[in-house]
Amino acid sequence: MIKIENVSKSYVKGKKSIDDLNLEIKNGEIFGFLGPNGAGKTTTIKMITGILNPDEGDILIDDKSITKQPLEAKKQFGFVPDSPDMFLKLKGIEYLNFLADIYEVPNDVRKEKIEGLTKKFEIYDDLNSEIQSYSHGMRQKIVICGVLLNNPKNWILDEPMTGLDPKSSHDLKEMMREHCKNGNTVFFSTHVLEVAEKLCDRVGIINKGKLVFVGTFEEMQNKFKENKSLEDLFLEITENEE
Amino acid sequence: MKSKVLVLSKVILKNSFQNMETAKDVNSNKKSKSMIILYIFIFLYLAGIVGVFSNSLVSELLKIHQEKMFLGIILLAIAGFVLIQSIFSAINLLYYSKDNEYILPLPLKPSQIVIAKTNVLLVTEYFIVAIIGLIPLTIYGILTYANILYYIEMLIVLLVFPIVPVLISSLLVLIVMSFAKFTKNRNRFQLIATILILVIVFVASFAMGNTDSSPEELVQMVMKANGMVELVKNAFPTLGMAIESLTNINIGIQLLNIMLLIATTAIIYALYVLVGQKLYLKGAVGNLSSGKKNKKKIDEKKAFKNSTIFKTYIGKEFKILLRNPIFFMQCVLPAIIFPILIIGMTILGINEENNGQTIDFASMFINKTSIYIGVGILCVIQFFLMFIYISATAISRDGQNAIFMKYIPVKYIKQIDYKVMPNIIMTSIMSIITVIIAEILIKVDILYLLLILITSIIMGVFQSYILIIVDLKKPKLEWNSEYAVVKQNMNLIWPAVIGLVSITLLIILGIVFGNILNSFIFTGIIAFVYLLVTIITRNYINNNINKLMEKIY
Repeated sequence: MIKIENVSKSYVKGKKSIDDLNLEIKNGEIFGFLGPNGAGKTTTIKMITGILNPDEGDILIDDKSITKQPLEAKKQFGFVPDSPDMFLKLKGIEYLNFLADIYEVPNDVRKEKIEGLTKKFEIYDDLNSEIQSYSHGMRQKIVICGVLLNNPKNWILDEPMTGLDPKSSHDLKEMMREHCKNGNTVFFSTHVLEVAEKLCDRVGIINKGKLVFVGTFEEMQNKFKENKSLEDLFLEITENEE
Repeated sequence: MKSKVLVLSKVILKNSFQNMETAKDVNSNKKSKSMIILYIFIFLYLAGIVGVFSNSLVSELLKIHQEKMFLGIILLAIAGFVLIQSIFSAINLLYYSKDNEYILPLPLKPSQIVIAKTNVLLVTEYFIVAIIGLIPLTIYGILTYANILYYIEMLIVLLVFPIVPVLISSLLVLIVMSFAKFTKNRNRFQLIATILILVIVFVASFAMGNTDSSPEELVQMVMKANGMVELVKNAFPTLGMAIESLTNINIGIQLLNIMLLIATTAIIYALYVLVGQKLYLKGAVGNLSSGKKNKKKIDEKKAFKNSTIFKTYIGKEFKILLRNPIFFMQCVLPAIIFPILIIGMTILGINEENNGQTIDFASMFINKTSIYIGVGILCVIQFFLMFIYISATAISRDGQNAIFMKYIPVKYIKQIDYKVMPNIIMTSIMSIITVIIAEILIKVDILYLLLILITSIIMGVFQSYILIIVDLKKPKLEWNSEYAVVKQNMNLIWPAVIGLVSITLLIILGIVFGNILNSFIFTGIIAFVYLLVTIITRNYINNNINKLMEKIY
């Protein structure tokens, strides 16, 4: 469960990049975080993961405050950043072992986990090569594999579908569904509205640092009393806020 | 063509310099003002040291009517320094730079890319030339009551003279790297080639300072007013012209030499561009796919071993340092190669001047436990420490990956400890190499040497922690070329500042306590003070860790 309480953040004095954000992502829920470029999606994700400190408010991950109990909170989630160019000079296997050591994945399950995940994403045969030699999609896959190694209850993903081939994208979506079925949480940002529409239990739309809508797709249609696609509704909501 | 070259040079330069101030900083205006004042202060401090040195040397040389020798020494030092610096920079900028991925596909001629990148090399070298050239030559002008023409010519010489050493180094790099296509293991070839070029340039630089004159000729030169300068005039292709243009009493000859200097430089430049356009692309294009694709599958028995966070984190730091050629060359290599080459070449040079007779350095010191020996070795080690940038770039090297530190469940202070460890290890290796060479040369009392070694290692630990604070306070996280991190980075002035302050303090303390304290007690006190300061520094990091990590996001 991820709980964002009255969070605000400014980069420049007097201009709030995130303005009094409140949001709760329940267990067993896939939550899509939408918004135009520069709306505050990545800033929000950076605050949830402890990369940035909020100026006001707090964020709880499974009831652990990211500001007051950072180490405990960080153990509760796995994070896929927007750029998959992670430690390019490491070999795939070195990167995964490094993460497994950091997250203290026991030796007896490590082999099974790495083999299982990398075979599913079809990068097992490339594990002995430097990540620099991987394509964009392969880099995205190795980062996702790394995050899933220690089975975190909360997945936080910044634009996870970017660069993935159709099969991997499909597999990841399936894994997200399965993860939530087991009572866990998935929070991800995306620009691909179709993905959000088909995959998410709820979506949140942020514009200019303010949350302008939270709810299911049906609730959005009801709110605007129109039988439009998510894309049309999204454009309408964000343009009305201009 | 000209405009494209200019545009490209500007873009490469701007791209690497623009991040000197963090744009995201909320209070950037106020902070950047104080940073500018600080950098001016540092520049003045460095300038002051160079100035004091120049002033006393020119004054001494004036007494024996050999003041022109000063110009020879300074210009030779510029040539040697730029030659060696440009080797690293040219390989990095021409071949390993990440921006090649964006530049090579552009509709530009190879010659345009070569010229633009060489321009960037030159501009970077001018910063150094400003310190080691401009100040001494100005002081020379003041002390010799030079007229306005001297200062105009001085500026021209300082602008033109460094070009040839940059071209020589870059040309060597272009030639050697063009052979890379014939080798199977490209990475290894490039590494060996770099070390080879470095050795060649080092030997050449030191050979420049040596002369083949007989002792009789030497005496004659020294006896003649300003005859000593003849010793170095031919040490570097354009050195004679530069010296003549600044010192000849005939204005006509001065101007002729300036024109000759410019013409010679222009011809070498044209030749360089000609060779560059033939050789550059072949080497550079192949370098783009520098990621190592290994067809061998992982060894299932060994591949899934677990390790402690301490070992795995430091292992990751070392792997990235060693596998990235730019980081390896600028951060790791100097720790090993500088002590060996500089000390080695100095010994060779002295022996050669001594007509092949090996000097018994040991006999020069009657007291094998003299405080001055300790201070001397510690100063030499401190000098080498100035070239080890591992800690000073520990955060910046990670670039945008640095945010990784913030979201993993490992305490920040522990991560800082792991990040400074490679710097501590490399400075310790450098100290051991220097101390071993010192033992071979001077045959210092072994217990005393051990104490010196321990002191120098503590100095290395202190340097490692203090420099990571510098990087944490002003990390350079957004870069397209590793060159920007290890070269065009104002933070790298700090190793020099800390080194020079330490050297100054060591010398002052050595002079003050040289005849009062026992050398063991003296060195022990130095070690204790450094240990104390190191503990205070680490405590400062620990107590302010959240604030220090704020710039990483």
